Amino acid sequence: MGNCFGSEEDVDDISLLRNEESSDDDELRYPPPYMPPYQSDQGEQSQTIYHLSPGQSRTANELTEEEKVRVAQREGLIDHLPRNTWDENHVTNKKVRECCICMIDFEQDEPIRYLPCMHYYHLDCIDDWLMRSFTCPTCMEPVDAALLLSYDSQNLDSG
Amino acid sequence: MAGLPRRITKETQRLLSEPVQGISATPDENNLRYFHVTINGPKDSPFEGGVFKLELFLPEEYPMAAPKVRFNTKIYHPNIDKIGRICLDILKDKWSPALQVRTVLLSIQALLSAPNPDDPLANDVADNWKRNEAAAIKTAREWTQKYAMSGGQ
Ligand SMILES: [Zn+2]
Ligand SMILES: [Zn+2]
Repeated sequence: MGNCFGSEEDVDDISLLRNEESSDDDELRYPPPYMPPYQSDQGEQSQTIYHLSPGQSRTANELTEEEKVRVAQREGLIDHLPRNTWDENHVTNKKVRECCICMIDFEQDEPIRYLPCMHYYHLDCIDDWLMRSFTCPTCMEPVDAALLLSYDSQNLDSG
Repeated sequence: MAGLPRRITKETQRLLSEPVQGISATPDENNLRYFHVTINGPKDSPFEGGVFKLELFLPEEYPMAAPKVRFNTKIYHPNIDKIGRICLDILKDKWSPALQVRTVLLSIQALLSAPNPDDPLANDVADNWKRNEAAAIKTAREWTQKYAMSGGQ
């Protein structure tokens, strides 16, 4: 841990309102020379944005080789997590009916994902977070990759 | 700018309908991601009696990224710097999307009750706090009186 105020990335926190456009997008606002500026808006939106950690975003072109590997590994790990669909008929003992990431109630047949700690979220909501941080948002438990892989291979045999 | 996510609408409604004791958060008329916040100095802290103004902004990535929060009222506190930035882990690397505006503001209120001068930061307030706590608390009280009570600013 460094000191809280020394880091340069914090400097642009000073005016919160001016950050409305999101300070991370500074580079995106200045399109590369080969891209006509008037197209830049559409170009930005259609590009996939990768989130390496909360607040650290890159477009595919900006990823280094190392980061590409990291993203692919992370996507592979997430794929090993059990997925399910919400079933209203089986929710009697489930107290939590709201996804705490988007704060919207689960609906019948909506895809959800369980983490090893048994906390569950909308599939899209939790996958978006896991790409940034491999932890459970609710209990902050790290999702154990090694455990996951062995769990998965056992499951393949049994079912 | 994309529409306001349902979560932000819900959080705002809940903040207004079930307010937290000693904390107010009102969305700005022109920007629903920007909140005007006040936190009352907690009882038995050197900030007691003060009303501290803060600003809170929900970035585009929220809730995947933490809200940005800053004190607008001057405060003498080892974890808050001259320009109001707050040293709090959940605003940095301990952020989780299960946290909310409400929990963030409660954590800041708790930080006023329990200043933590051992959290490494580069400011002289923390040094003073460690070297002579009584004097630091006295200064914090004076600042509260001067900047956070009616009449002062
Ligand atoms: Zn959700
Ligand atoms: Zn969990």
